[in-house]
Amino acid sequence: MTNPQQFEAFMRDHQNMVFSTAMRLLANQTEAEDIAQEVFLKAFEHFDQLDNNPRAGGWLRVVTTNLSLNHLARYRSRWSFFSELSGGSPDEAQEPEFPAGQTLHEELDQAERRALVEQALQKLPAAQRVPLVLYHLEGLAYDEIASKLGVSLGKVKTDIFRGRQALRKKLRLTLQPESV
Amino acid sequence: MNSDYDTRLEAEISRELKDLPPLRAPDSLVPRVLAALERRSVAPSYRRSWQMWPASLQWASLLVLLILFGGLCFAGWKLSQMEAVTVSMQRVENWFSGFSAIGGTLSVLWSSAVLILKHLGAGFMIACLTALGLGYAVCLGLGTIYVRIALAASAPFERTPNRSRSWQP
Repeated sequence: MTNPQQFEAFMRDHQNMVFSTAMRLLANQTEAEDIAQEVFLKAFEHFDQLDNNPRAGGWLRVVTTNLSLNHLARYRSRWSFFSELSGGSPDEAQEPEFPAGQTLHEELDQAERRALVEQALQKLPAAQRVPLVLYHLEGLAYDEIASKLGVSLGKVKTDIFRGRQALRKKLRLTLQPESV
Repeated sequence: MNSDYDTRLEAEISRELKDLPPLRAPDSLVPRVLAALERRSVAPSYRRSWQMWPASLQWASLLVLLILFGGLCFAGWKLSQMEAVTVSMQRVENWFSGFSAIGGTLSVLWSSAVLILKHLGAGFMIACLTALGLGYAVCLGLGTIYVRIALAASAPFERTPNRSRSWQP
């Protein structure tokens, strides 16, 4: 039988990672909490295998990603038409104003910059944010992302490129010169 | 797309994203999960998911299902061989023969409708389809306008700067 105290400690150890993964994919706090709860309920069913297992974090991450993607596929498709309509303009309203000639790095301290990157990521349209998160944060390859999302490889590459461009614009990133 | 630019952009975005610390989960998450587990534990075992049943019950339920399935297959095979059943089946078929007459009538009505549509001509059909399409477009447009208005109305609350959120790092 699972010890509730042990499981609570297990949850406290992994809750931020699980919540972050869901939040970055869904960009909605309520939905991310629901997914995190579902993930931990599943973890409870397999706790005898997960407890003290060094691969528990990886298992939780994969389950969170899959549940989040299922959630997006199930509940978001019907609203995609409307969300596409409203997808462009709110982002611009959220963009902070910087004085000309200054980069983001010069102007903000690290915590502020991270908060801004997080916010910029959350504000990307789902079509760009999801493959971008899967590629950069979950470490999936382009073809794996295409297969998970059920879209073509070309679309994944285009969406990721657009997502990067949008982030670069929002964060006013100056690209490093090519290293020789 | 310039490949050098792409590579540098990818590296820069990757650095920015990987630099992000995990978001802080809401304090309510752990109590929420524990409450859900508590609700599950007080529920009788037959109301929990099959995976949560005790192993002995899982095996017993599998056995019962296998016996039921085998029994159904056997009964079906036996019944199909019994003469009384064959006679009964024929009787049931006779009862439903009236439905074939209804089917015939419906088929005649359908043929008449097709004939009328042919008589009215392709122009009429196109006009009907266009009217349907326009009706659909009007509904879609009105819906879109409604959603846009609703989004615009909710936007000032969403866009309030410096709002406090528990997930912010």
